[in-house]
Amino acid sequence: MNMRKLVLVVAALTLVGLLGLGAEKIKAGFIYVGPIGDYGWTHAHDVARRIVDEKYDWLETVYIESVPEGEVETYIDQLVRQGCNVIFTTSFGFIDGTFAAAQRYPNVIFAHASGFKRAPNMATYMADFYQVYYLNGLMAGALTKTGKVGYVGAFPIPEVKRHISAFTIGVREVNPTAEVHVRWIYEWYNPAAAKEATEALIAEGCDVFAFTEDSPTVVQVAAERGLPSFGHYSPMYEFAPDYVVSGQLVHWEVIYDDFLVKIHEGIYTTRNLAHVDYWWLLAQGAVECAAVPAVVYCETACVSDTSCACCCGCCCEISPSMVVNPVYERALKDYTINHPAFGTISVYDLVFLRHNQFADPGITFDPFEGPVYDRKGNLVVPAGMWMSYDHLITMEWAAAGVAGPWPGEP
Amino acid sequence: MKRIGPFIVERRLAPPRHVVFGVSVLAVVVALLLAALVFWAYGVSPWRAYAEIGRGTLGTVDGLSDIVRRAIPLILCGVGLTLAFRAQFWNIGAEGQLLAGAVAASGVALFVPVPDGLRLPLMFLAGFGAGALWAVIPALLRVKLQVNEVISTLMMNYIMAYIVEWLVHGPWKGPTMRGFAYTDMFPTAARLPLIAGTRVHWPTLGVGVVAALVVGLILSRTRLGYEVRVVGQSPDAARYAGISFTVVLSLAMVISGGLAALAGVGEVAGIHWRLRSPSHISMGYGYTAIIVAWLARGSPIAAILTALLFGLIFAAGDLMKTTLGLPFQITGVFNGLILFSLISSDLLMYWRIRWRRRGEAWT
Repeated sequence: MNMRKLVLVVAALTLVGLLGLGAEKIKAGFIYVGPIGDYGWTHAHDVARRIVDEKYDWLETVYIESVPEGEVETYIDQLVRQGCNVIFTTSFGFIDGTFAAAQRYPNVIFAHASGFKRAPNMATYMADFYQVYYLNGLMAGALTKTGKVGYVGAFPIPEVKRHISAFTIGVREVNPTAEVHVRWIYEWYNPAAAKEATEALIAEGCDVFAFTEDSPTVVQVAAERGLPSFGHYSPMYEFAPDYVVSGQLVHWEVIYDDFLVKIHEGIYTTRNLAHVDYWWLLAQGAVECAAVPAVVYCETACVSDTSCACCCGCCCEISPSMVVNPVYERALKDYTINHPAFGTISVYDLVFLRHNQFADPGITFDPFEGPVYDRKGNLVVPAGMWMSYDHLITMEWAAAGVAGPWPGEP
Repeated sequence: MKRIGPFIVERRLAPPRHVVFGVSVLAVVVALLLAALVFWAYGVSPWRAYAEIGRGTLGTVDGLSDIVRRAIPLILCGVGLTLAFRAQFWNIGAEGQLLAGAVAASGVALFVPVPDGLRLPLMFLAGFGAGALWAVIPALLRVKLQVNEVISTLMMNYIMAYIVEWLVHGPWKGPTMRGFAYTDMFPTAARLPLIAGTRVHWPTLGVGVVAALVVGLILSRTRLGYEVRVVGQSPDAARYAGISFTVVLSLAMVISGGLAALAGVGEVAGIHWRLRSPSHISMGYGYTAIIVAWLARGSPIAAILTALLFGLIFAAGDLMKTTLGLPFQITGVFNGLILFSLISSDLLMYWRIRWRRRGEAWT
């Protein structure tokens, strides 16, 4: 009888062992459209890749940078040949190549950033900034003295238009007569064009700046003239500590972590991704409104039981994130408005109030809460309504208060 | 002639073939040795690097087909450029002419109502026409107004790139692209067939090879070819003989620009199936083709070989990024080293060094 028990135990252990072995290692390949040193989009994806790579033993990652959009299939072929079983493609232009590859390699899991085509083995994901831009807009509206806020835009596509409109709605909420002047540079990365555009906006009288471009140029040019601005994508505080008010920061690692862990645990497979679409915002921590992110110190030997959000062992937060640069705290606290929902309130308090509404898992506010009118006076979001996801990612109209050219305006 | 110690350095007027070939191979070997140093400095064993590159490019069907696919636009642009260069017309505008072809082909693919069977031929025709038109402008500017063609062809590249950018952001932006700057996908009838299991759009490859043969024949067997050579080698003699520069340069540029445009047709109809941002349609093929034509020494047939060489260099660069995990800058250094040695080896072809013979007088 004892013998029989022993056999059973051994059999059970063997089975567990086999299952354990079955939980295979994941080799994830990342295909980037730009160079990892761009200080914007690609850089942020690569930082995220390194974070998840260090965090999990069962994960190995490789990446290829500067891949032209038409070449993505060739590179996917090479990654599959190298043994990648999960592939992330991080540019909208990779959409059809990734989709075709997903058909060709049914046993590989694909995830495509910012797209809309999905398959049983292909998911989509996006970390979006529109709430953050709205929060930045509130601050910009309070800080402008000329009533003109400058915005240097990369391309007039729905993503950037959504951000400018959300930003403008924020500006107008605290400063109903202010305008957001827009210049397009038609590049994701072009410091020279960004400098020119910023100088032109300064000449027009703009005195606060936000932008979409993958370098700190706008921040630097504005700072030279003593004008405040909002950092974009990567922390830009260090480039002008007295002039970066706040900014938009991304945390792709939050999405990569969730997605890869779910694959590792067998929740996501090559057969059930057709409806997996990450659209992650402030509530999920995929984006952050701050000039400087929190500094987290990681320790393999645990000294306290602080819950760990990053790499190895235990982590302690050394300094919290800087949501608002202290240099501008006074000005934002002194600027009070009579808010229809909150009565008399300072912009500083309004920012944190709104921030908490976004961060609440059951989000209780949206920048595009109706009624919203476009700048031509058309009602685009009826009173009491929020915009649907499809409307958000295809929006072409400009919010009231946007000034300047708007290609593709309906 | 120059004297350095016991050596005499003297100019060779027409280097023999074996010298050209030998020196070129030597240049590539030197470049590979230099690149080996870069690999080594980066912590990758040069042996392993070259073994991986060799296996990945020449050792597999995928690798070989990738070389050919990359060579297709280079063949078409390169062949056209050999003709222009023979006339000493420095066409730096193949990039813009390529894009002109891509635009015309996309227009036909998306907006012109024609029967399916005629769509692809019409795309090639329209593409050739657009490229020819774009290329003939600098030719006429040069003949009529003495505008330097290096500047005009180069500047016209930027104009065409911005036209493409404007089209995909403006009037041709595809309604199914959710606001992103791309045209809609081409209908199936406007897509080129591929060699099964590869991404090689063989019709464009066929057109390229035929074009090389035809341009070769034009240069060696026709009156136009003769006139092109005379205009190039001795403008004064050409003028004296009553050769019309307007006709010769215009025709040479119609063919040169038209062929570059066919490369653009092949890229949009064979690879992208849509018009998109210019930097993603052509990875500088029009510029690389200048070196392709230059290395081919003005021979359209040789341009096929030099185009394949550059297809190999591109493919090797891709492989370095993926298999060896080198940053893309190293790929650029690798390509640059090979180019640099090939171009500087020119000096060795046209000059030779020999011992001073006993009793030979210094001149």
